[in-house]
Amino acid sequence: MKIFFLLAIFSGIVIFEAPGLIYRKYWKELIVFFLFLGFAFTISLLAVLGVPLPSPAKGIETVVNFIIKLITGK
Amino acid sequence: MELERGKINNLHLTFLIIGFTFGSSVIISPGKGAGQDTWLAILAGLAEGLIFAWIFFTLAVKFPGKNIIQINEVVFGVFTGKVISLLYLWYFFHLGSLVLRNFGDFFTSLIYFQTPLVVIIGLTAILAASAVRNGIEVIARCSLVLVPITIFAFIFDTVFLLPETEITRLLPILELPPKDFLKSSHSAATFPFGETVAFLMITSSLNKNSISSMKKFALGGIIIAAIFFIMAAIRNAAVLGGTAEISLYPSYVAIQLIEVAEILSRLEVAVSFPIFIMGFLKISVLYYSAVVGSAQILGLRSYLPLVLPIGTIMVVLSITQFATAVENIIWATDIYPFYSLPFQLIFPLLALIAAIFKQSKAGAKKAGEAQ
Repeated sequence: MKIFFLLAIFSGIVIFEAPGLIYRKYWKELIVFFLFLGFAFTISLLAVLGVPLPSPAKGIETVVNFIIKLITGK
Repeated sequence: MELERGKINNLHLTFLIIGFTFGSSVIISPGKGAGQDTWLAILAGLAEGLIFAWIFFTLAVKFPGKNIIQINEVVFGVFTGKVISLLYLWYFFHLGSLVLRNFGDFFTSLIYFQTPLVVIIGLTAILAASAVRNGIEVIARCSLVLVPITIFAFIFDTVFLLPETEITRLLPILELPPKDFLKSSHSAATFPFGETVAFLMITSSLNKNSISSMKKFALGGIIIAAIFFIMAAIRNAAVLGGTAEISLYPSYVAIQLIEVAEILSRLEVAVSFPIFIMGFLKISVLYYSAVVGSAQILGLRSYLPLVLPIGTIMVVLSITQFATAVENIIWATDIYPFYSLPFQLIFPLLALIAAIFKQSKAGAKKAGEAQ
């Protein structure tokens, strides 16, 4: 059911955005649009399926702690 | 080809900055960790934040009509400039997702207990997406209407809370160790004052007459917002005392205490509307900056096709990156003040120094030619 909703939302976005781009022959914009949307679809599908996604906040935390350690030497 | 044709003036800029600075700080009080001295921490944070903001807006005045992406390219060269611009785009995008999450958590934990987080975050993002699609002029004009509503609501609550206040709860002043105080004041400087770095994507839309006086209006907006934060911090500490520190959302808890003649009570739900619209302004500005910046760096002719895909990624990121609301707040107090430092201080400062250096070099060259 959730996957059906997801498909409905993303096809909605494509129907909303793509025809205008094709009509104006904005091919580059169309490619970038589908690349971004494909990425968005992948991560939302994974999130809906319950696959744990890596959190950028955790990565930033590691980097910040590492730099603080470098500076303070603790 | 210009991505954004809309023009705004200085008054719009001031209101937008007030709204942006209010943003998520109306729910999570800035300067956390200073107890009853929060208001002093905000004051000290304002001083630091104004230094940051002075750097951004000096940079913006030096490069009229250019946004941060173009400024980076001129100042740091094409390659390094692009790398720094990409980092900035990540920062705006990530900050947008953090603010979305703050609002989602706020509403699901206090008002809509049964509603899933994704519904509130998704609806907010749709609203912001429509604002972003309409361009900066629409967002700026929204702020002209929405900010006065919030200020009115704030004054209204504060007046009704006066009976509950006890000014002795603000004592003792400056009891905490200087290190902790500096930590809170620095956290107030990076959240929310330093976040106005996002306006380097917007000042390029100012009309020609406004550019030279922009700094005054922008810093004025930050100061006005800070005055309200300081008033809110004094009010919260005087009403709640020590519990202001424990509570995640002190202003909201304080407003719950309003009871006038047993009729006017439970005002907090009415207050959640101005809270929400300020979040909408902040999310829109960050979302707009991320989208327009990405379109610019990719050399697109229009930023509209990126609005919905980037918004969807932002929604997914905001839901998945923290497991709980508390995790979000701990990250915001412990990691965020350091994480945001390169974007709010180091890169703009380097850019400003490089710009001044380049300018004086160009000036010397010109003088040499004239002789």
